[in-house]
Amino acid sequence: MRKGLLPGIFVLAVVMSFAPSGPLQAAQTIKIGINAPLTGDIPKVGEGTKFAAQMWLEDVKKAGGITVGKRKIPVELVLEDNESKAESAVKVATKMITEDDVLVMIGPQASKQAVPAGGIANNYKTPMISPWSTNPDTTKDRPYVFRACFLDPFQGPVLANFITSEFKFTKAAVLYDVASDYPKGLAEFFKQAWEKLHGKGSVVAYESFTTKDTDFSSQLTKIINSGAQVLFTPQYYNEVALIVQQAHQLGWKKPIVGSDSWGSAELVNLCGKDCYGDFFSTHYAAAGAKGATKAFIDRYKAKYGYVPDDVAALTWDSMNLAQTAIRNTGGLTGDLKKDRENVRNALARIKKFKGITGEMTFSGTGDPSKCAVIVKISDKGEFTFFKSVCP
Amino acid sequence: MAPPTTFRTFRAGWSRVPLIGWLFGALLAVTLERLVGGPLAAAVGLPKIPALFGLDIMLKKPLLIPNAFLYVLLVYGLPMGFATRASIAPANRLAAGLLRLPITVTTFVYIVFLYVIFHVWAEVNDYRALVLKLTLIAIMFTLSLNVINGYMGEFSCSHPGFMALGAYCASVFSLGLFVDTRFFGTALLPPALGPFVFPVALLLGGLLAAAGALIVAVPSFRTRGDYLAIISLAFLFIVKSLIENLEYVRGPRGLSGQPDWANLPTVFLWTVACIWSINNFVTSTIGKALNAVRDNEMAANAMTVDTRRTKMVAFLFAAFWAGIAGGLFAHVLRYVNPGTFGIQSLAEVLAMVYFGGLNSVYGSIVGAVSISLLGEALRPLEIFKWIIIPLLLILVMIYRPTGLIAFKDVDVTALFRPRTGPDEEV
Repeated sequence: MRKGLLPGIFVLAVVMSFAPSGPLQAAQTIKIGINAPLTGDIPKVGEGTKFAAQMWLEDVKKAGGITVGKRKIPVELVLEDNESKAESAVKVATKMITEDDVLVMIGPQASKQAVPAGGIANNYKTPMISPWSTNPDTTKDRPYVFRACFLDPFQGPVLANFITSEFKFTKAAVLYDVASDYPKGLAEFFKQAWEKLHGKGSVVAYESFTTKDTDFSSQLTKIINSGAQVLFTPQYYNEVALIVQQAHQLGWKKPIVGSDSWGSAELVNLCGKDCYGDFFSTHYAAAGAKGATKAFIDRYKAKYGYVPDDVAALTWDSMNLAQTAIRNTGGLTGDLKKDRENVRNALARIKKFKGITGEMTFSGTGDPSKCAVIVKISDKGEFTFFKSVCP
Repeated sequence: MAPPTTFRTFRAGWSRVPLIGWLFGALLAVTLERLVGGPLAAAVGLPKIPALFGLDIMLKKPLLIPNAFLYVLLVYGLPMGFATRASIAPANRLAAGLLRLPITVTTFVYIVFLYVIFHVWAEVNDYRALVLKLTLIAIMFTLSLNVINGYMGEFSCSHPGFMALGAYCASVFSLGLFVDTRFFGTALLPPALGPFVFPVALLLGGLLAAAGALIVAVPSFRTRGDYLAIISLAFLFIVKSLIENLEYVRGPRGLSGQPDWANLPTVFLWTVACIWSINNFVTSTIGKALNAVRDNEMAANAMTVDTRRTKMVAFLFAAFWAGIAGGLFAHVLRYVNPGTFGIQSLAEVLAMVYFGGLNSVYGSIVGAVSISLLGEALRPLEIFKWIIIPLLLILVMIYRPTGLIAFKDVDVTALFRPRTGPDEEV
């Protein structure tokens, strides 16, 4: 039995090595990778990413695919969970690029994954767009890595200028999480910008805490006693609710200002009336939105039951950026390497892209120049447009 | 009783295959895959060569399971099955011949053989290479924790902290000396020198981790049992917040851009060195003393075992290897941040240790490999993955409370010997 089978296997192997090696895939489908934190620390971010991407896919499917040159090419999403871990984000990125042959990768969202995954994407010369990562390292010296949001070095000064011109304050306090890179970076940029405007020592209290702390009374007492006129806290919405409520209990009556991490529908649910009247800078204002932004919000809300966070909006814009770039290439060759390079070049050339989070222009780097929006939380708990600040 | 008997006779055919025979078979399989894997995959209806034995596409496209199974059977199963069985006689002669050489030479031959298999297997695509590298690092990490939690019988929670120390130390070394960065200035040494100095970076990382272990060991070894767990857990948090607050290493933003030195041969060599030295350590006198301390510290003391020194050496030794694993980890990912070395990392490595088996070198390898592969295979399940893996762990704990393969060290002579006896125990 053994003697009969062994040559059989050999023959089979030889036949197969001469078998037609599959049709050379002349861009049969466009694969787009979504590297999202579906489990782990920030599953809500992953969910927003997934929903926005699926909505986009629906649109594309309805249109019969992306029109590139004269052909309509169907699109496939490769959605993978990066567990909100740097290690897994790198594994997922490598898998998508070398195994699944994605043309573009969207994500990861948080900088702690986007920085290492960006390195992978750049090594394999695959365009990547991180919708949400604000760390400058993500795109720095990486021609293949892009992002759809503005950076912390832009947002810090925007807020400092806004507070100065709006309230004419000169003394500010900062409360931030020292163990999380986003709040820490933004707190530093804000401090720099503020001290440039008002001189050294104008940040009268610079207090920190550690992730998952829930009692801020000692820091807040110091801030109240410091004589600060405004409190800046670039925290995530769940912490903001605690900070604002505790500040008010301790007798703080002055304005509190935040950053784009405030921009979640959950904020008002958790914070209630305490947050009314406060300001934050973000990518878009949900209440009073017009045009495409409103259409996106309404559709998302009808479909999934809540107002989309900025992550979902930025993911939506990233998907459309990718689509625009693919369309602008004027035709796919079917050679993945060449196509990836073409898409990258098309992405880098995008000017005045009308996204739902504002107009974006790429000029030389992977960072778009786009406007920030200052949002006021109204007396009804809605995020209303207050002011737009452009670079 | 018919099926078991047929199965036993079926299996008995391979009971006389020595390790070298299996290695030959594996080499044949991976070479075959390398040569005809692509067309073969296309022929059985798969879009590409399945990266991890089809585990990775199983849940994404369940319809392809039979195809993937067929592929694995054709590429791995049949060639390995036939080659090993056909080569029983020459392989046994070769194994006997090799065993007559000095044991270091024999081991060297086997290790080179194993590396060649890994290399050919991983060359098919880079995803495989990455998973393999991270799995090898997980083996080092798990094995070093097993020295404390298994052989020493204490419950230490500071292992990710040691890994973090090693990772940061090695990263600062390589970034500071060989890379132009904003934080450490320009490169001091030519990058070409880098790969040769890399071992120094890793060793420094290991030594720093061992120094950290000393800080835990001094106060905690005066106590026993739960106290070490608490002190070591505190140490983990201290390390994490220390790094978060050190502006010199960029705090929570992490360090990125480490040079690409941790390639497959490097990681493989360090893993072999780790397994070799830990296996020697636990089978040596001090390893036996360690087991005596675990079983009854007072009795061990009465039998002239210097319990304090024994525990100290083992603890520092384990931390050293965790530090090395950390340095490699940072250079494979080329990024390191303090958030990676938290409670979740601790839970994962503990799962690997207890899943694989306490007090066991084989067990650590099995635990690290199976949890890593499960993690990759179950990724598409998203949140349910975190239900299935813990459930498996619970089942293992119920049916095999000490883990899958507990109390088993590597005995190389037994491993390499020819299998000539008719029905010898494998």
